[in-house]
This record gives sequence, C-alpha cells and structure tokens, in this order.
Amino acid sequence: MSEQSGSQEAVTLIIDDVEVTVPTGTKVLDAAERAGVVVPHYCYHPGIPTRPAQCRVCLVSVEGQGKLQPSCVLDAQQDMVVHTATEEAKLARKSVIEFLLVNHPLDCPICDAAGQCMLQDYAFETGQLESRVEEPKLVMGRDRIADDVLYFADRCIICTRCVRFMREVARDDALIVAQRGHRAYIDTFPGTELDNPFHGNIVDVCPVGALVHEDFLFKARFWDMDSASSICPGCSNGCNVSVASKENQVVRLKPRHNAAVNSYWMCDHGRGQLVMANRGIRAEVPLLRDEDGELRPADWKDALDRVASDLSELGGGGRAVVSPHACNESLHQLRRLLELLGFQGGEFRVEQGGEATLDGFPKLKLRADRAPNATGAELLGFERVESLAEPGPGEVLVVLGERLDADPTLPDAAFGEHAGYVLYLGTRITEAARRADAILPVTSSAEMQGTFTNWEGRVQRFDQALREAGIARPAWMVLSRLVGLLGGEGATRLEAADAFDAMAADTSGMEGMDWLSLGLKGLPLASPADVAGGAS
Amino acid sequence: MSEELHPSVAGAQPYMREERQGSGTTDEPLFESDEGRERLEKIRSRYPSARPALLPLLNYAQEKNGWVSTRAMEEIAGALDLTPACVHSVATFYTMYNKRPVGRYLIQVCTNISCHLNRGDDVLERFLEETGTRPGETSENGLFTVVEAECLGACGFATVVQINEDYVENVTPEKVPDIVDALWARAEGRDA
Repeated sequence: MSEQSGSQEAVTLIIDDVEVTVPTGTKVLDAAERAGVVVPHYCYHPGIPTRPAQCRVCLVSVEGQGKLQPSCVLDAQQDMVVHTATEEAKLARKSVIEFLLVNHPLDCPICDAAGQCMLQDYAFETGQLESRVEEPKLVMGRDRIADDVLYFADRCIICTRCVRFMREVARDDALIVAQRGHRAYIDTFPGTELDNPFHGNIVDVCPVGALVHEDFLFKARFWDMDSASSICPGCSNGCNVSVASKENQVVRLKPRHNAAVNSYWMCDHGRGQLVMANRGIRAEVPLLRDEDGELRPADWKDALDRVASDLSELGGGGRAVVSPHACNESLHQLRRLLELLGFQGGEFRVEQGGEATLDGFPKLKLRADRAPNATGAELLGFERVESLAEPGPGEVLVVLGERLDADPTLPDAAFGEHAGYVLYLGTRITEAARRADAILPVTSSAEMQGTFTNWEGRVQRFDQALREAGIARPAWMVLSRLVGLLGGEGATRLEAADAFDAMAADTSGMEGMDWLSLGLKGLPLASPADVAGGAS
Repeated sequence: MSEELHPSVAGAQPYMREERQGSGTTDEPLFESDEGRERLEKIRSRYPSARPALLPLLNYAQEKNGWVSTRAMEEIAGALDLTPACVHSVATFYTMYNKRPVGRYLIQVCTNISCHLNRGDDVLERFLEETGTRPGETSENGLFTVVEAECLGACGFATVVQINEDYVENVTPEKVPDIVDALWARAEGRDA
C-alpha cells in the first residue's frame, strides 16, 4: 500500500463506509473530517504544528492492522479501510476518558467551559456516567498563569496544547509541564507569569476549563451567549473574531479562523477591545440646535430634513474629519455627500501604538495603526494627516466618529470653534460635539453590518453583534438618506449589502466585488497599487 | 562504610558516588569557580546542542549543593540558553532531583511490593523514629532526611534503602539503629 501511495498525489480510502480522496500525506483524522466524521481528539489542534499523539482519544481501527492507531498522526493510504467507532475503539476511548476523570473534580456547574467542553462531550458520548473510582480525588488547586489567565489544575487533562502553542507558535518557551504522571500540571517558572502579547490564545486552545480568562470568569454560560462574526477593531491587521454577547453586552472576543489573516489566533490587545463596545454615554437620538442655542431632540425625519436644508443653504465650502474606525460604506456615503456639496475632502488621524508579531504566524501582527480601517479611509479619498487642519471661519465641518471611548484621533473641544456649521455624526457626545449644530447618532461597529479594509487591502465584513443604542442608525444609512435629500442619485441604503455594492461599483480597486462573494473571509482589493495610491 | 552496608553503584558517573560535601542546605553558584566552568565546558563538549547537557548539569548542581534550587535552574538555563521554565520542567519531571534542601544523608526507604512484604513500612517508621523527623523533613542537626521511595529495583534484597548514592540491602527494622549510628559516626569522623 505504502509503495502505491508514495508515488501518487492523492489517495482514496474508506472511513466509516464513506469513500474520500485526500492529498498524499493527509492524516486520517483530517481525512475523516472531509468524510463528515469527527474523530474525538484533545492533543491535536490544527493550528499547532506538532502532533504528539499523547491523548490517545483519537484511536481508530484500521482493517488489516491488529492494533488501534492514533488517527491524528496516521497517514491516509490508498485503499485503507478505517472504522472510527468499532467496539474496540470505543472501549479504548472510554477507558482513556475514565482515567481522565479519576481526579477530575466534575465541577461543570461552576466551570466556564461547561457547554463547550470536549471532556464533557466525550464523557457523555462514552456512556459511562457513573464513576467506578472509590479512592478520594487528588486535589491540585489553581494558579495564576498570567495577569489575566487562571489555571485550574484539577480540570487539566495535560493535552499540552497551551504549552505547545507558547513554544511553537508564540515561540516563547515560558509555559511547561511540571512534575509527571498524575501529579503533572501546567506551570511557568516559579515566581514568574506569562507576559506575551499573544498568551490569551492558550485559553482558546484549552479543550476543557483548565485555562480561563479572569475577566470572563463566571460572566456567562456558553448557552446564554449570542455570537456574531466580526473584525477586531484593535489595529489594522483585521483579525477575524467572534463577538460573544449576553444581554446586549459584549462578554468576550474569540479569534475566528482565517488562513489569510490571523489563522486561529488573535492578540491580547484585541481581546481588550470588547470593553470599548460596551462603554460610553451614547448619542441615542438626533439633536438639533434651536433658536435659543439649545440642543433639542428630534426624530429622524425632522433631523434629516433640517440638516439637508441647512447644508443646501450654506455656502463657503467645508471639510470633514473622519475616524478610521468608520466602516467603508459610511466613508463612501460621506464622500458622496462631500462631492455633492462641492466640499474639499476629509482628513483623518490614526492612533499609533507598539507592534508585536506572532512568530509562528508572522502575518498576525499587532500593527502600529490602532484602527481597523485606515486603508479603507485612504482608498475612499480621505487624507491621512498627522494633525488636523482647523476649519476656516464660516466653513462647514462634518465629523464622523465611531469609537465609543475617548478617541485620541478625533478633534478636541477647541477644534472647529470658527466653523460656520458643525454636523456631527457619532456614537457618543464628545466635548467637540457639544458645539455642533446637529448631532446625528450612529451605531458602533458592534451594532451594525459593514466592511473594513485591513493593512494589506483585504476587505472584510463584520456582522451586527449588539442592538443599536436608542434610535441610532448606521452612518451609511443616515448619510445615504442625506445624499438623497440633497438630490444625489441612488435610494437610501437600508441594507449593508446595498451600501457595499454601491461602493464597490464606484471605487477603484473594488471592481467586481459584491457582498455575496465577500463572504465571511473577505476579498483582497484588485491591485495593491490602488491601496498605496488611494482613489484620487 | 561499615560492613553491614552493601554499596551498589547507583550512578554511572564516578562523581555520583563521592561523599556529599555540603549539608544539603547550601546554594552555591555553579559556574563562578574555575572548577564549575571547567565542568560546564566538559559537559557541553559532549553534545552537539545545548539541550542534552541539561541533565548532566542538573546532576552537577545536586552534587555540589545537595539539591537543585530555582536559582540553580536559572543559572543552568542561562548557561545553556534555555528558558528557566524549560529547566524547571525537566528538573521537576525527575523525582531524583531534590527541589528542596535535604540533609547530608538522604535516606530513601522503599515500600513497594517486595519491600512492603518484608516490613518496609516498619523500616521507614523506624528510620523516622531514630532520626526524629517526619517524612521529607530534615532533622534539626541537618544530617538526615527520610523519604518513602517507590521501587528502587533491588527487590531480591528487600527491604532496600538508598542512602545518598548507596544502596543498603536486606534492611530490617532491627538493623536501623546501627545504620543511623554508622551515619552519625561518619558525620563526626569517628569512622572515616
């Protein structure tokens, strides 16, 4: 058999009566996934290079071979016949699980991992629901592994995924297995803690509840959380994430696999971004300045009619200041508005921070640009500047803000005091916004659909994770209505898909892109030159 | 050693059989002396890469100080360009490395099957009585640490007791006072 497969590019084998053809060198566990069979596994993780085959849970029967084989390291071979659920294989698995449970505290009711725990799942699958162990359990206790990560040693099954992530992917050999046998536990060097910009990933790779994030501890049960596909707003890398929320509050961010961007990982700076989505005194209704100079609430129709008539009556030119946290669609609609009014373009600043690279997957890098859409803003015709130019006397100033916390890149309170008219679209009422003539409340990126363009020009979609605040609406929706009221072409965009497709048709580099083909993994811009040169 | 003691060769390397010098509570720097640097170079020269030299260097630390401190682990990590965590992992894997200071005489009493059948538990109890310690604890005079050991591989001569690097075989509880006396005598230089 092996002679045959060695000379072929693909091999065909049968796994649980399903014929599957895979490239030579594929392991049986991976081939089984293609055949629709999930072989239980602990130590194997697709993002970690080594496969130590030490958990012994992925054992399968292979016809013609006397012993059970670990499928995670077994090469798929031509004409191989594999059975993943023979009585023998099931018994072996059951025995392993029984051993793992000998000292396991079975504290699922208070464990963060309950509901998404591979030990819980497989133990249930084996069908042995009563312990045969009479001896008292070994109690190991818990430990702090990093400033935000706790380790519950009793729950640990020593799969070593976390150790191997740190060693092979983060390339920081600071996490190890101490002791051995039933006394083994995960540890750092005595007196030290993990201090790596990517160490949060050890919690994600943990198949049980041994490693937990302290800021998520006891916060939410797995089955009570909602999840939305999103893009991390922490920097310009554009890591794909899942936003988990409970009762309209974001409770955690988890990396979502994308081989072109972040593999299975994300950085700890990004994980902290969830705080941003929950924070701030929000702008919840449109506010218009009345004759007495007071800001008064208005409904959308009145507010937009008033803003449109104000803008059409004002002369004297104008400019915009935008946040690189705004999505492509909003920036595109804003650019249309500026063009319609004959204003000069807009400017934006980008907050800067230190960089960190994940050595085992260097494309994942915490980048200096601490905003998700600086590339998109540039492509859509906004100018990146170090310091914002003060609007001249009588000029119109349009501000498009996105972030909920204090955004150091947006104007401060003194900015725009000479402007003739200030239109402020934002998620939150900043000091500068209090001088505005009209405040239009827009949703944060956690409350809407849209796209960001990352550092290398990959356009990626994010979905809505939270309900909008008050009657805030996505900026692209608001701006497209304004464009319509001012006589611009195109209907009000009520769906992100429409807003995106309108933008793609109108933007160089995005030709041929549409919402449907974008999918959840994103698409690269047509030519890198467009990214560098912008749309001008 | 007195006649009753039957020393077997516990370690393959000659230095492992030498009398331990420190009381087991010192924590001398390993590679600051000429001797230490020489040992380091000699051990490193035996292997194509740094990592295999780890066990011999841990041996050296234990030989020199009687135990392997976290400070010594950091020193070895620095000498081999490994992380301290990596050295810690290896040092804790092997139960034979003492991670805490021990007495000048580390007495390991086997209580596995053969020894258990030959009153190994009573031997252990007697050693604890004679030295006035509890398991793992070092006597006040710094001479003795008594621990229970798993099979030492000398089941034909149960009960077997390992004292530092030497085996004492066919030990009965009645022989324990003489053995402890002999160790006292050695410590005081009466029977050098």
